[in-house]
Amino acid sequence: MTSGDSVADIRGRLGEIGYICDAGIATALYLCRELDKPLLIEGPPGVGKTELAKAAASITGRPLIRLQCYEGLDETKALYEWKYGKQLLYTQVLKEKLGDLLQGAKGLKDSLGRLHEFDDTFFSEEFLEPRPLLKALWEKDGAVLLIDEIDKADDEFEAFLLELLSDYQISVPELGTIKARTTPLVFLTSNNKRELGDALKRRCLHLHIPFPDMALEQAIIKSRVPQAEPRLRAQLVSFVQGLRKLDLKKLPAVSETIDWARTLVLLNAKDLQPDLVRSTLNVLLKYQDDIVEAEPEVGGLIATAHKEAEYRAIN
Amino acid sequence: MTEVLSDFIRALRAADVRITTSEAIEAGATLALIGYEDRELLRQGLAQALSKSVDEKQAFFETFDSFFAFRSFSEGGGAQGAAGEDDKGAPGEGQSPGGEQGEQQGEAEGQGGQPSGKASGQGMGAGESEPAERESLVDLLERGDRAALQERLADAARRVNLNDIRFFTQRGMFAVRILNLMGVEEVDDVIAAAEASDDPGERGRGERLHAARTALREEVRDYVEKQLAIFAANAGRKLREEILADTRLNAIDRSDMRIMQELVRKMAKRLIALHARRRRIARRGQLDIRRTIRANIEYDGLLFHTVWKRRRLERPKVMALCDVSGSVSQTARFLLMFLYSLHEVLPNVRSFAFSGNLGEVTELFEHNDVDYAMAETLSRFGGSTDYAEALETFERLAGDEVDHRTTVLILGDARNNNGEPRADILRKIHDRARRVIFLNPEPRSSWNTGDSVMRKYEACCDTAQVCATLKDLERVVSDLMRTAI
Repeated sequence: MTSGDSVADIRGRLGEIGYICDAGIATALYLCRELDKPLLIEGPPGVGKTELAKAAASITGRPLIRLQCYEGLDETKALYEWKYGKQLLYTQVLKEKLGDLLQGAKGLKDSLGRLHEFDDTFFSEEFLEPRPLLKALWEKDGAVLLIDEIDKADDEFEAFLLELLSDYQISVPELGTIKARTTPLVFLTSNNKRELGDALKRRCLHLHIPFPDMALEQAIIKSRVPQAEPRLRAQLVSFVQGLRKLDLKKLPAVSETIDWARTLVLLNAKDLQPDLVRSTLNVLLKYQDDIVEAEPEVGGLIATAHKEAEYRAIN
Repeated sequence: MTEVLSDFIRALRAADVRITTSEAIEAGATLALIGYEDRELLRQGLAQALSKSVDEKQAFFETFDSFFAFRSFSEGGGAQGAAGEDDKGAPGEGQSPGGEQGEQQGEAEGQGGQPSGKASGQGMGAGESEPAERESLVDLLERGDRAALQERLADAARRVNLNDIRFFTQRGMFAVRILNLMGVEEVDDVIAAAEASDDPGERGRGERLHAARTALREEVRDYVEKQLAIFAANAGRKLREEILADTRLNAIDRSDMRIMQELVRKMAKRLIALHARRRRIARRGQLDIRRTIRANIEYDGLLFHTVWKRRRLERPKVMALCDVSGSVSQTARFLLMFLYSLHEVLPNVRSFAFSGNLGEVTELFEHNDVDYAMAETLSRFGGSTDYAEALETFERLAGDEVDHRTTVLILGDARNNNGEPRADILRKIHDRARRVIFLNPEPRSSWNTGDSVMRKYEACCDTAQVCATLKDLERVVSDLMRTAI
């Protein structure tokens, strides 16, 4: 993905590396690159939010730097940390060298004067241990920075990100401002565990990735699990789409569909059969309650899936 | 930024999409980048720049579709509905929603909204002065030039500031102003003259013009109607919500119930946002010396890292006792609705309903829709009020679980049908609980009148307050959350 690529180009490039997406997602990448804006991605778990960042890294050829958020994450883990050990050693070395430095100095004033002239590196970039955010700013040719599950971090951390997101710079109190060498592509993902602040949202473009529709999901399976035959593919996608209409605790997402397709291929399935589906339902549904809820519907859903696959085969 | 975009943003704001200035600038940059050529691209791009949540996205797409709807004067709108008109009409169809196409193009090419871009736009600037070489409306109608009519309509609409329209009662006024600006008076004169004339040819012309004028009027009314829908989508509702929030709960009409529920949900959401933050701040405790020393062994005992004691999160417990007899039941309904909308920040709510006897309704409200739960509660616990019996049962059912973290909310009118008030039970509860709050939907002036035993109960409560409207309720619940944490 270089400057000048159109939305269609980006979509094609993503498709080449196996990330099948709709126009909305490609537009988001395009705008995010052209406007130098961070992209906030929301959507149910498992629809490929994190994958999008990985795919963007892969088509731009930039390194992916990932920061996983959690409660209690603070700047020493996200941004930078002083190398305390080395700083301690430095002061000790300094103490030893002090004698040489002050040799021949007359009086206190002269000594202090020499001390001030001495180049102080106690707080300098050499003693700075970069964490993901700083690493992303220091990357020469720009990086893809993925701030994953920002909704899990605290409010304070969110506020702390604002400077980075709007100006691509961070302030280290002892050193001043550190600017990005090349503007990184920044992706933030959120599962909406809590409402994000307006200030953060305002600084980002916002992309919502919903569950894919039938055609898109088929294309995804075709790209990810090419071993699955067209008929099985059509059937299993239709089945999962049907499953999403039920009232379940956690709806199966694309990643589950892919896993299930792999499972079915591994079991040499050519066709959806009720027994097979029931015994592999745990790949799709992650809660026992959901499995119990879905089991009576399996027969009906399979019948619909068969019909739909046939309809597609005819057309 | 083009006028189209700022109009569109106003329309979005009317549809409850929050847009800040910086986002508007963003949208301008997006527009400069992608232009107007690809509708789908524009739709997705603006959606990503302007709407920042799933709800807002939905509102955005609806507004986008109606705002950028391609419309032109309907067939036969002109005096001569001849076939040749289609060619002329075609360019008009690309003009959304009025004749701003020229400006849009100018903007996309100029990349920065220079005034020249606007001026080049078919001479349709928003200036107040009449264009010198303006064709008369009569000619336009007779030719049936839909594109030009559409253009003139949009121009007139802009000059009367149609995008300021707020209420449906303004429709007529705006329609008349637009028609006048378009030059309908001239048409009236021509028609009048034609009708008075003896020449049959002239008469025919008058009739055709008459029909065309009627069509034009309809067209204008339609246009105003659509703009009203776009720019004033929620104005009426907002006004109504404001009024409803101040109306006494038992005087609220059944037809407003839906709005009320929506309102409660909104208020609850606001309270959650407000208090979620407070809870986190309250968690920061004191320095944990032992753990700090342990964490800093690697630095030769120098205390670089500080570890803080975490104050244990107190889960506030709320027990709500609601009188569900007669007039109080409506207030009870909203109180319960409120409490259960706050599940995220108030996870421990137990509710009890009483009038004749008392029983727990926690499960009922947690798992069911409010309407159903309320009806069920009324059929189970309806009857004449007996506070003594209710307090006794409560003491027996849940008295042991009232502790120093529990807030007890009692909602009722304290009208005990001249029975024994048994305030001593309430005092016992008060001694154990963190707080007892009495909410009375009656105005303070009618407390202690008739069979009301409010005075006795008031003495055993930390606070007793009037709670008659949704605003009162919000205040009570907000207060509850502030101090419960």
